[in-house]
Parts: sequence; structure tokens; C-alpha cells
Amino acid sequence: MIIEKPPESVLTTTATRGPSVTFVPPDADGVARIVIDRPDDPVNAVDGALILDLARAVAAARAAHPKGLVVMSGKTDQFMAGADFRQITTSSAADLERASREMQRVMDDLASLPFMTVAAINGPAIGGGLELALACDRRIMADAPHVRVGSTEVRLGILPAAGGTQRLPRLIGLPRALDLILSGRLLGARRALRTGVVDEIVHPAALLRAASEDALKARKAALAGGATAAERAATWLGPARAFALSQARKRVLAETKGLYPAPLRALDAVAVGLAKGMPAGLEAEARAFGELASSATARNVVALTLLGLRQKKAVFDGLGTPRPLRNAGVVGLGFMGSGIAQAAAAAGMLVRGRDRDAAAVAKGLATVRKLTTDAAKKGVFERREAARIAGRVSGGSDLTGFRHADIVVEAVFEDLALKRGVIAELEEVLRPDAVIASNTSALPIGEIARGARHPERVVGMHFFSPVHKMPLIEVIRPEGADGDAVATVVAAANAFGKTPIVVADGPGFYTTRVLSLMIAEAFVMVTEGVAIDAIDHAMTAFGWPVGPLRLADEVGLEVGAHASATVLAARGITAPPVVERLIAEGFKGKGRGGGFYLYADAKRPVNPRVYQLLGVTPRSTGEDIAERLTLTFVNEAARCLDERILRSPAEGDLGAVLGLGFPPFLGGPFRYADALGERMAASLERLAAARGPRFLPTDALRAKQPFYK
Amino acid sequence: MPRAVILGGARTPFVRAGTAFAELDVLDLAKAATSEALARSEVDPGEVDEVIMGNVARPVAYHNLAREVVLSLSMPARIPAFTVGLACASACVAITSAADHVAGGTADVVVAGGSESLTNIPLTLTPKLARALVAASMAKTLPAKATSLAHVRPADIAPVAPGIRETSTGLTMGESAERMAAINAVPRVEQDRWALRSHQLAAKGWEDGRLAREVGPVYVNSHAVTTDGHIRKDSTLEKLATLSPVFDREHGTVTAGNSSPLTDGAGAVVLASEERARAMGREPLAAIRAYAYTAVDPADQLLIAPAYAIPIALKRAGITLDDVDVFEMHEAFAAQVLSTLKVLEQNGVGRIPEEKLNVMGGSIALGHPFGATGARVVLTLAQEMKRRGARYGLASVCAAGGNGVAIVLERAA
Repeated sequence: MIIEKPPESVLTTTATRGPSVTFVPPDADGVARIVIDRPDDPVNAVDGALILDLARAVAAARAAHPKGLVVMSGKTDQFMAGADFRQITTSSAADLERASREMQRVMDDLASLPFMTVAAINGPAIGGGLELALACDRRIMADAPHVRVGSTEVRLGILPAAGGTQRLPRLIGLPRALDLILSGRLLGARRALRTGVVDEIVHPAALLRAASEDALKARKAALAGGATAAERAATWLGPARAFALSQARKRVLAETKGLYPAPLRALDAVAVGLAKGMPAGLEAEARAFGELASSATARNVVALTLLGLRQKKAVFDGLGTPRPLRNAGVVGLGFMGSGIAQAAAAAGMLVRGRDRDAAAVAKGLATVRKLTTDAAKKGVFERREAARIAGRVSGGSDLTGFRHADIVVEAVFEDLALKRGVIAELEEVLRPDAVIASNTSALPIGEIARGARHPERVVGMHFFSPVHKMPLIEVIRPEGADGDAVATVVAAANAFGKTPIVVADGPGFYTTRVLSLMIAEAFVMVTEGVAIDAIDHAMTAFGWPVGPLRLADEVGLEVGAHASATVLAARGITAPPVVERLIAEGFKGKGRGGGFYLYADAKRPVNPRVYQLLGVTPRSTGEDIAERLTLTFVNEAARCLDERILRSPAEGDLGAVLGLGFPPFLGGPFRYADALGERMAASLERLAAARGPRFLPTDALRAKQPFYK
Repeated sequence: MPRAVILGGARTPFVRAGTAFAELDVLDLAKAATSEALARSEVDPGEVDEVIMGNVARPVAYHNLAREVVLSLSMPARIPAFTVGLACASACVAITSAADHVAGGTADVVVAGGSESLTNIPLTLTPKLARALVAASMAKTLPAKATSLAHVRPADIAPVAPGIRETSTGLTMGESAERMAAINAVPRVEQDRWALRSHQLAAKGWEDGRLAREVGPVYVNSHAVTTDGHIRKDSTLEKLATLSPVFDREHGTVTAGNSSPLTDGAGAVVLASEERARAMGREPLAAIRAYAYTAVDPADQLLIAPAYAIPIALKRAGITLDDVDVFEMHEAFAAQVLSTLKVLEQNGVGRIPEEKLNVMGGSIALGHPFGATGARVVLTLAQEMKRRGARYGLASVCAAGGNGVAIVLERAA
């Protein structure tokens, strides 16, 4: 749907590559086929040339007038993944809107064919791919784990723009359609069938035969708008619809705090279409798409998504060759370790865990089971697969069963001596080529590996909590590390379904370092008398998922102080003693007697004792809180690039957004710096003049060269 | 011919039916034992060629327990697996089959064991009700369905538990044990003394850590079951004497105290060819030297077959009873153990010195999950032989139907 140039000029680009869509005339039974197979793209991403080829194929089908038509993919295990967003960053709103209309027109054309049309979904049908299937009379889906359908557009800051906001509610009813469009969730075969998105699921080997048979035998039917009377009422009856829409709008506003316009625009397009008819709905859809897709938000989110996709391969640059991963070990089955064990098992590895005694192991394995069943309930995997995943994890109170591990992740308490002891124990039993990954948020890996017989195979693997939700893993490559060992840890991170970034060893690495600096600055502000809740509120309003002081409480004040101590010492920064005083009074964070807030009270009020301890009266401030803290973060991120802790701005942006919750619509600290341009350095200099030299812009920011070319 | 060696193994704790493992079915237990046996043998599941499991009360939900173990543990799917049954000697069949496959060169690494949940025994329908239900499900019309069910009587509706009586004699195990006690003149007090010894030695085996070596914890919900559940440290002859006979209330000698209890549990050992063990750099526990299965007329002494299997196995091993350093004999009943010892002596096979027999207690104290007991007996024997540096060891298990098995193990190195 997203194209670089106006459609007219794009229409001529087909010549530069082979056709992306082929019309295959009717076979002996009278079934014709439209085969999508973009020659230069493995996932059949939709671009202008593909739209044009599709338009031609649909026209050819109309002319051939077969008994039935199957719409299928020429790729193995891949139907069609949405828009080619390599092109989104350069098109104007008008061009994007026109592209949407073009795609809508082709879909309408397909939908209006006078014979039966069946989509044979053999692989992911995402975004535009699902919209293509929705324009067919019937959808048959291969029942295999990799085959998923969904409208992920809002996650990218855009909305379905090839009629998806119109056809989906008419097919499955307003409530379920809103759920899919607003959440961007993907559905596996069984759920897709239950939701009504597809009409039938079959074994992949039977897919084309079933589709051909249905193209001959099935009959066109009017779209019901839901499976139950209640769903149909919400789709077709004004008052019921208004209620469903207003509920959905409330949920969206609560979740996005109004920072993301895409879900609301999608909601509007759905509402207009159902109230005023499909042409009006398509009109609203196309207009919203043009505006959203050309907005900075969508461009930043799309750019970030692209970075994430590229990172899967790019992350291996300069590393060695990953070793095969079949057996994994996890030492320490606390909440973190259990999450790691579960991720490894879900990736298909056989996992052996260790904790201090049988009771601790039992607790860890129970957590693994719970995480797995919870995921199964959400449809991440099928129930039987969930049982198999849990069955891959066993454990004991010693290192029995570790001898065959390809990788062992130690996730014991953050204590240097303890971690060194674990590594010494592991070296007694592990194969020489097994990799030891140390999960730590701040302890230097070089220090942990010191004294090991083979320090070169010890690599840092910084997981974020909770492991099953957090998408980032920060891989720390200490000096002298074996490239193959680092690559193996990176491959493990990929296998766990996470995005890895590779950083150099240093106090706090990248993520803990930038976060510590920002939180320390928040402590300074508290010391200055700025109200605690005002600081957190300013940050969430800016787009951070949680304010720095509430985050400090959640991490635990002792743990946080422990992690940031080395970082701040290395940077020559003295943090105000507010945290030490709180800890001394027994305020150690959430679930630990309270911290900056008190948690015994359901309202979670600010802890007044903080102000008493500091001798300040809380006040609001005219200062731009979010700017001061976010710029602290950005400046430190840039310093990490200067010091080669970071390899690239891309990894810095991925790490900040995926690991620390840097507002995704800004694209990450480096993209944000690029967007602000010279204003970034100027703001930092202004802050430095007012607050001290710690704000002085770092070399990379002073250079005034964009991070992304 | 390659010699099969035992690399290692593990069993679950054995607990009384209906207690700690009540929520686990036979597959859960088999998985736990297999996974722990592989871990303790330090064998990569990718190296396994075959899995064989013994089981008596077959689950209705699946027909091949061993294969379900392979699949549910995500062991490589190419591993063939089968389930065997020889009543209480089922796991012995698994182990000797494994040894044969290794010796015959058709497999190099085999997991062999057994599992039983006597809590979750499959109950079935009476044949009459079952036939009527099948007929009704095949009938096409409602009246035909009704007719199919018309002859079912209330008495046909009660479920049927798996047979506890010998089909050929109509006698229960306990009644057969009473017969053996009478034929071999084993007095009640001797039986009670044997039971007491079993509990005391089992308790000692746990105290000094010998049994802990073979038992892997089972994690149920969020707690760990780590020890056997039936051992009575505080048992005395006096207490045992107060128990009433169960099977012959008038003149009987067999009580709940001198019999093995209904038990849930599983066990497994990992066998490999000697050559493979060497290639893996592993020091095996013991090697399989010889074995013998034999059987007797169930109407005579149902559980006496090991007394006849033992001399055959010894002969096949080329040794005598006196050459054996450690013995493990399944204790279905104290009466059966003492009868077996007596018959061995009467038949001139020899006398098994008590101090070499069941040195960490036996099934009376440890429990007896039918399908798993054979694995427990062989594993315990192999571990103890290794600890003592023993040259020869002998395991024997009696089974329903008049079957019996004896397995001779020898020092591997």
C-alpha cells in the first residue's frame, strides 16, 4: 500500500523486475488462479508494482470468467505480509492516500468478481495480506504454527488501508474486528477459525485441493457481521454500535494516553463505514492512512520496526559463527531464571535448571509451567505444544545433567563472588566449547570472567524483567571474548524471540548506564524540591511507560542503587543521598516497605517522608521536566556511541525503546536527536548553563551530523 | 558380542497410592524418571537409540507409554519406543530387552524402565455394558440405539477394576502368599521380622545417602517430593504383631505390615554398549552378565518362580550363588521372600546370606509400583555394586501368572 512515488510513475516500474502477480487460466475443472510471487521479496510485501500487477491479474480473471478463482501465494509457507514499509519514509501524505485508494480499488474489483473466489492462506497473512484474503468470498487457512493472520497496522502507527477497516467488521462483527484492528494481534489457525476470520482450516498439504474444491462448490454469501445476535447488533444497529465504539475508544485512550492517533483513526474509519456505507468508510480509511503514514510517529515506528527486522541478521556483523543450540542450562531458577528457562524451552531447547535446593527448583519449574500455560491461554502456542514446552525443562539442586549443555545462562543474584563461584563450578562439568552467559544488569563481564579457566567463553546476556514480556536482550562482549561464543549468545537471544543488541563491556553497559543517569537526575530534581508525582507524570505524559521514581521503586531501591553505583562512580557523578536515606529508614521499594510512593494504600500516594528527609516542600515547577530527563538520557546514549560501548545508533535506538521504554513514536534517542537537530545540542547547553556541566552535549551531539544518513 | 552396561539411572520417590503423586498419571511419572535418568547418566537425549518402558495398569488414553515419554520430553522424534508387560517384572523385561538390543548391535544407547500409578488405574466397563455401548454408537436410529441398551442391567453399570485375582486360579496375590507361607512353613513372626528389617534397612539407606543417589525429586505443582513415602522408621515387631491378617482372617499370617503397599512411582536406567560408554568417557555402574525368565504353575506357589530362574541365570553367567556379592530380591510379601530363600536352599542352589540381601530394604518398605519395581531393583543393585566394588550382583523379581526373572550383573571394569 505504501509506495515511493505517485502511482502513475510507479506503474512503469514493473518492467525493472518480473511480474509479482500471475494470472493462471482455468484448469480442466474450470478453476483459475491468481498467484502472488514478488520476485525480489521473500514475504510478498505490497508495493506499487505489486498493486498494479494484481489489478491486471484481477482484470484477466474477470475476462476469463472461470468457474472459480483461487488466490494464492507462490512462496513456500508465506502468503503476504503487509505493506513494503521500506518505502514509507519518503512518500507524501497525498501519495500515500492515493496508494491506499489504488489498493482499495483493486480489492473492490476482486470482491466484485461474479464467480467464487477463495484465498488459500499458506503462510502469514498480515496487514495487506489479510485484506487481500478478506476481499475473497472465502478463506481457507493452512493449520500450521507459522501460519498467522492479523492486522498489525496500528502497531506501526498506521491503519488497514485496503478496505480492512470495512470488510473485517462486516465479516466477523464489530466487537471482534475492533479487537483485532486495535490490538494488532495475530491469530493462529484455530483462533482464526473460531473468530470467523477464516472459514476453514486444513492441513497445509491439502490446502490447494480444498481451495480448488471450494472455488467450484461453495456459494457466495452475504456478510453476516458477527456470529451471535449480540455481535450482529453491535455491527448493524446504531445504538448498540455506538456503545461498542465508545467502549473501545475509552480503552484505547486509557492505553495510549492519547499519544498514538492510529487506533482512534482506525476506529473512526470503522464507525464511518458502518454508519454511512462502505464508500464513505473507504474514503475515511484512505485519508487517515495518508495522514498517519506520513506522520513522524509512523515513520519513527516503522523505521524502528525495520531496524528490528534487520537486526536479526545485522547483529552478527563482526561476530563469529554461532554454534548449534540444543541443550541449555540455567543456573538460578528465580523469577528471572525461570523466565529464561521457559524462553529456551519455547525455542525448542532441552533445558536443565539448577537452584539451591529441591524446594527452590520446584518453585522455578512451577513458574515455567505457569508462564507456559498463561501463554497458551493467550494463543501464543497450542495447549499440547505448551505441555511439550514445559516437559523440556527439568532441574535439580546440583549441576547433574549440565554436561551436554551448549549454553548455560547463569541468573543468580547480582554478586561478583557468587557469579564467579558459579562459573568455576560450571567449568568443572561443561564441554570446552559450551558458552557461559552471565545475566547481569551492571556487573562488568570481564570482572565476572576473571579467574575462569576459559574467560573467553564468558559472555554477558542482560535480560529484562519480566523475561516473557520484554523484547530486548543486551549481549555484552567483553574484551578478548571468543567471537563464536558471542555469536552463540546472540543466536540464543534470537531463538528466544528477542531482539539482541551487542555492546561493549563497561559499567552499566549501555542500558543500565543511560537509565541510571536519567534516574539519578530525577533524584536531583526531587532533592531540588520538585514534586515526585509531578516528575513521574511529566514523563508518562511525554510517552515513557512509567516515571523514573516509580520505576526506581519497582526495581527495588537497593538493587537500583547497587546497579547505578558503579555507573555513577565511573562517570564521576555523585548521586544525591536520597536513596540511601530511604533505605536506611526501611523504604526499599515496592513490596519492600514502599519507596518514593507508599503501596499499602490502594491509591499509592507519594511517600511524604521523602520530602521530610530532604527538608524540602514539594512544589510544581515551570521547568520542562521531561526535556531535562529525556535529554539526560539521549546525551548519555550518544556518549555510549562516542565511547564505542554501542556499535551503532540503530542498536542504541532498539535498546532504548525495547529495553527501557523510550517513547517508540520518537524512534529512539538517536532518531530523536536527528529530529531535533541543532536544537538538541542547544537545549543541552542551556541546561548545562543552568544546572551544571553534566548536561554538556557529548561529541556526537556537538558534531551536528545526523546519526542516520 | 558387545556387552551392555548400565550408565546410570534414577527413580522417582515411591509413595503410597493416593498420596503425593495422586495428581500425576503414569506418563508424568515415567517422564520424571526418564528425564532424571538421562541427566544423572549425563547422556544427551540426542544419543538415545531406543526407549523401552514397563507398565502394568495400562492407561486408556494412550497405548504406548514409552513413545509418549519420548514425545513429551521432546527427545528426538526418530527414537522408536515400545511398552512391555510382564506384571511386576515388566521393567526387567524392558532392561533385558535393552541389553539384548545392545548385545545384538541393533541399538547403542537405550533407556529402559517402568512406571506405575496405582492411584490412577484405568477402570473399565463390564463387557456387557461395553458391548451395548459400542452397538448403540453404531446403531443408526434412536430406537435401534435404545434397543441396544435395553438388556443392560443395573449390575452391569458398575466399573471393573483391573484384575487382582489370578485368572486361572481365582486367588488373589495375598491368598497365594498365604499358601506359600503354609507350604513352606513360614511363621507370622518371621514374616514380621523380615518386614521390620526391610523398614530399618530402608531408613538406614536414606540416612546414609545411598538411596538418595538413585532418587530424583518430582516436582508437583510448586513443591518437591524428594523421599519415599512408605518407610516406617518407628516400626517394631510388637506393632507389626497387632495387625490382623488380611487375606485369611482366621488362620492367616499375611498382613498389611508384611506385604508391599500399593504404590505410585517410576524408574529408569540408561544402558549402552561397553564401547560406547568408553567413547563417552563414562564409568558405568555395572554390566548385564546374564538373565533368565521362567515360570511355574500358578496353582502351586504363584510367586516362587525366581527360585527357579536364579539357578538358570547363574548357570548362564557361569557362576554359583556363592560368587554373588549383593542380592536384590523384590519383596511382594515377606512370605514370598522367605519361601524363595527356603526353596533355593532345598533345591541345592545355595543359601543367600541375609546380610547380602536387600541391603537397603525392599519393596515392603520402599513400595511397589508394579511396572517400575524391576527398574528400582536393578538400579539399586547396580549402584550398591559400584559402591562396594562388588564383582557380581543378582536381582530377582516374581510376577503374577507364576512368572519370575533373575538378572546377573557384573562389575563393568
